Amino acid sequence: MSLKDKLTRMRTHMSLEQTERRDELEVERASQTVASVAHTDPTALSAHDRQWEALGAQPYAFAGESVFVRERIYPLTHQHGHYRFGQLYEAIARWQDAGIAHPLSADGLATEDLLFFDTETTGLQGGVGNAIFLLGTTRVTQDGVVMRQHFLPSPDAETALYHSFARDLAPITHLVTYNGKSFDWPQVRTRHTLLRGAVPALPALGHFDLLHGARRLWREDLESCRLSLIEPEKLGVSREHDVPGYMAPILYFDYLHSGDPSAIAGVLTHNEIDVLSLITLYIHLSTLLLGAQPGTYEEHFAIARWYEALGDDEAAAARYDSIAQSTHALRQRATQALGMIAKRRRDWRRAIVALEACAADVEHPVSIDVYVELAKLYEHQIKDYDKAMHYAKAALAACSERSRLTRRSPRFDLHAHTRRIERLARRLTEKM
Amino acid sequence: MGWEGERMLGKRSLAQVLDDFRTAERWKGNLSHWRTIEPRSAQTVPFPPALDGRITDALTARGIPSLYTHQAKAFDHVRGGRNIVAVTPTASGKSLCYHLPILQTLSEDPQARSLYLFPTKALAQDQKTELHDLIRATGLSVKSETYDGDTPSAVRQLVRQAGHIVITNPDMLHSAILPHHTKWVSFFEHLRFVVIDELHTYRGVFGSHVANVIRRLKRICAFYGSHPQFICTSATIANPQELAQHLTEEQMVLIDQSGAPTGRKHFVFYNPPVVNEQLNIRRSATLEARDIASTFLANGIQTIIFARSRVRVEIILTYLQELIRRRLGPRSIRGYRGGYLPSERREIERGLRQGDILGVVSTNALELGVDIGQLQACVVTGYPGSIASTWQQAGRAGRRQGESVVVLVGSSTPMDQYVMQHPEYFFDRSPESARINPDNLIILVDHLKCAAYELPFAQGDLFGHAQVQEILEYLTDEQVLHHVRGKWFWMNDSFPAHNISLRSASQENVVIVDISERGQERVLGEMDRFSSLTLLHEEAIYLHQGAQFQVEKLDYEEKKAYVREVQVDYYTDANLAVQLKVLTEDESRAQDETRWAFGEVSVHAMATIFKKIKFETHENIGSGPIHLPEEELHTSAAWISFSEPLLASLGPEDVERGLIGLAHVLQHVAPLFVMCDPADLHVVPQRKAVHSGEPTIFLYDRYPGGVGLSDQVFREMHTLLVQAETLIAACPCEAGCPACIGVSGAGDKALAASLARLAQGGPRHVA
Repeated sequence: MSLKDKLTRMRTHMSLEQTERRDELEVERASQTVASVAHTDPTALSAHDRQWEALGAQPYAFAGESVFVRERIYPLTHQHGHYRFGQLYEAIARWQDAGIAHPLSADGLATEDLLFFDTETTGLQGGVGNAIFLLGTTRVTQDGVVMRQHFLPSPDAETALYHSFARDLAPITHLVTYNGKSFDWPQVRTRHTLLRGAVPALPALGHFDLLHGARRLWREDLESCRLSLIEPEKLGVSREHDVPGYMAPILYFDYLHSGDPSAIAGVLTHNEIDVLSLITLYIHLSTLLLGAQPGTYEEHFAIARWYEALGDDEAAAARYDSIAQSTHALRQRATQALGMIAKRRRDWRRAIVALEACAADVEHPVSIDVYVELAKLYEHQIKDYDKAMHYAKAALAACSERSRLTRRSPRFDLHAHTRRIERLARRLTEKM
Repeated sequence: MGWEGERMLGKRSLAQVLDDFRTAERWKGNLSHWRTIEPRSAQTVPFPPALDGRITDALTARGIPSLYTHQAKAFDHVRGGRNIVAVTPTASGKSLCYHLPILQTLSEDPQARSLYLFPTKALAQDQKTELHDLIRATGLSVKSETYDGDTPSAVRQLVRQAGHIVITNPDMLHSAILPHHTKWVSFFEHLRFVVIDELHTYRGVFGSHVANVIRRLKRICAFYGSHPQFICTSATIANPQELAQHLTEEQMVLIDQSGAPTGRKHFVFYNPPVVNEQLNIRRSATLEARDIASTFLANGIQTIIFARSRVRVEIILTYLQELIRRRLGPRSIRGYRGGYLPSERREIERGLRQGDILGVVSTNALELGVDIGQLQACVVTGYPGSIASTWQQAGRAGRRQGESVVVLVGSSTPMDQYVMQHPEYFFDRSPESARINPDNLIILVDHLKCAAYELPFAQGDLFGHAQVQEILEYLTDEQVLHHVRGKWFWMNDSFPAHNISLRSASQENVVIVDISERGQERVLGEMDRFSSLTLLHEEAIYLHQGAQFQVEKLDYEEKKAYVREVQVDYYTDANLAVQLKVLTEDESRAQDETRWAFGEVSVHAMATIFKKIKFETHENIGSGPIHLPEEELHTSAAWISFSEPLLASLGPEDVERGLIGLAHVLQHVAPLFVMCDPADLHVVPQRKAVHSGEPTIFLYDRYPGGVGLSDQVFREMHTLLVQAETLIAACPCEAGCPACIGVSGAGDKALAASLARLAQGGPRHVA
């Protein structure tokens, strides 16, 4: 019995990589068989070449391998969503003036130092076998926005692919990506390791991963922070007939079988919009972070918390202040945060004023922390044990109430409150 | 109360207790065999001159002034660049066989890296602790760390970059290390040693998978320019060198002469008395083992008791703890099962060494080389299923000086009764061979996918020793790989290692979910689809570690069986209508008018009905239909065909009954000889086989494609049939019992016996 026969017979026992999506494509694939046959025909080959040309792609050859590089130049006046690309210059200039330390700060950088970057890969999980077949980049220069895509037409041409890509990396110092820190860039590294010695070493680059910023600002507002959701909701970018990102691997496999560029054209467009939207997103985040545009109270509050987490109390307080002055639902939490900032600055009076304003705000349930902080401030700083006792009891009451509602065992928390009350009771008697 | 006090209360020494066994009415009639193994003194040599002074100092400080001969040999061979497999008994200092050459290498070259593979996480943890102590004592700056599912991600990165010795298991290597090898560049570039401890556990399906994982490992090493040496250690099996060579595809030097000392050891076979003559049912092995163990414990003799399931562990433990409370004072008896934390284990080990713990009741979780020190007595409840694992459990008793005893208590099963009646089978036969079949097509294809994911294949590449071009072409047709300019590239969006489990028999497994406690649903285990037909149909009683569960629902689409714990006095037995077709006959041998053959078969199986059968009486107390689709299995098989004329005188019914009886015996005897779980080898009798029309008994591998079991059955067919015939003849029952041909009608025993004789090429009637 031949091995092939055996393999066919054993087929039902094998765990073959079948996906439903693939089945949907079977019909399409059948129709492409014609194209696949035509692939070997020299005249048809040039038909594919003409299609590549029409897509704006040129071959790039290196050491006997060849890849396609597709380039488009957009004018700086081009409007993509809420912004024109040229506004990146303003955003970068604003970072120079702000003098704020922030993970997204471009202080000290020129607009041309940034490369906006996104990949399309053959798999959706990290791992050695997940190959990159498309590297898309944009760079904003005085002559316009250069959009460039490096496409791998065959898996044995990776050396040429990364040599071509290296030309984009040469003039820049920072990458701007969406989840690139944990996905795209490690995959690029992995492929470089596999091509040991055959490709130039990767330069050390700064990296702005905009996913983190998007999460900070919009996590509570959006059901997910996918770029395709941020675009319509926050950036004013709309896509038509877009190929969803998860289809990219399947479409690429189809391209490998047929050699027909139209199989992959949709993925090229998808990736192109991704790298263009990254520019808009960076302009938008910078504008919000630097207060050049008001934004919503929620965004404002998220930005304040971000600054606070970075240890920049001053920048945080300015934003909390404006929320605390408003009638927005977040005003109580902003006031509480102001109280805590004042406490860190050892400005006890201001801290107490802010926290008592919180405690007195009848429109919102008061956080237990507010009572606890007030009890501590009155006990340790102001030495007003009566007031401290008042708030310690309020904390205990709130804590019991909460555990009654959530049915969670309150023992640990309750214990801390009870101990404070006992200690205060002792101090009060000592005083008398 | 001190030791003197105990002695004054009339406690007796082990020698005195053993005398009692020989003479007292309670025991002496049940001793089916007693063998004494004489002591052996230590064989040591001075430290090799090449060994770094810091290492010898550390050893000396720990009370090790010299090496046992096997340790020294291992050191020399490894230093000479050879791969070794060291076979040494329990507690002979086997881990120094690899620690010493590796630490020596690290003392000379801090760049060097080593990979330690242990079959389980628990063993890896144990070894880590031991290794850390040794490293600390030497003062060498060697970093060793476990890398498994419990390793925090912050530590992982450090291990990848700077771990000199990475301790892990094959599953982790398969699914987390190899598919991410680019994160391990410096590790693979400098990998010098791969240690495979507990080599004997890598057999059957698991071993066949691991052999392919090692092919992948070696392929990646070659990519990064390293060629590691392999150091294996194994418990006693018949073919350690062959197994190691098969697993690693490297030449191995065998080191099997232990230099460690042993004291005198008594090995006692104890067969509980018959309580039901007609059905040949004996007193429960669990109860007898419990009584024997309490005799030892009552005399202050440190004892380990092995039981087959968790439930039996609990039964014995409860009784013995009661005994302790009444008679033994403060020293305790502990249970020991799978799933104990390393800290608990440490505590038990310490307790045993210091004497605070007098007894341990364990499942075979302890069979693997966890170090609990050496005890004086070991009671094994029921034959553990193989010579090798019996010796491993027996190895728990035995001191370097002084006497020890092992008591093997037989249960009523055919396997146990066979062993009880044939001590020579146990003592004279070399232990079982461990078989693997790395080229099992399904396993090979699975790992070829993983390998292609890790690095592309080029024209002419081998995968280990396997020729794989045809499979690569097949995978290209299946659109898993892409072939271009003489190279095959992974071209699929999945992560193949995540779909492949090294431990399970088939990739399409039914998951068994325990729903006894609401909100506490837990996965009990997995079962291959084929076996689930008869064992997990609705209303089936499923046994897990001795506990009973009833299947409430089998969701065949979703591959989930929901079970609930019950306590009933019956088991279920499902009828499986099996159609078996011979596809190819690869080998055959004729014995007069019977033929033995080996080849490939397709099995179509459909579950039809199930019966509820009462434990004690084997009464049928109910039945029901099973509605499940037909399953198909392609695998290898060995078979015995009887020529039709030869059986003409018997009549069709008699032939059928004889075949069923003989098949029942073979189902129990065959696993003894091929070292496998009885469920891995199926036996099917057919009065008219489809391919020949002749009466035939098939023995086939349960795993698709076969893992070499039926292959070995074919080679050992003669022995197997002789043993089957002997077992039938020796069984004291009248007309068949569960311990031989199964429960059946008058005359069936003789029928089965004559078929067994005919199958060997002998005459039908005894002269």
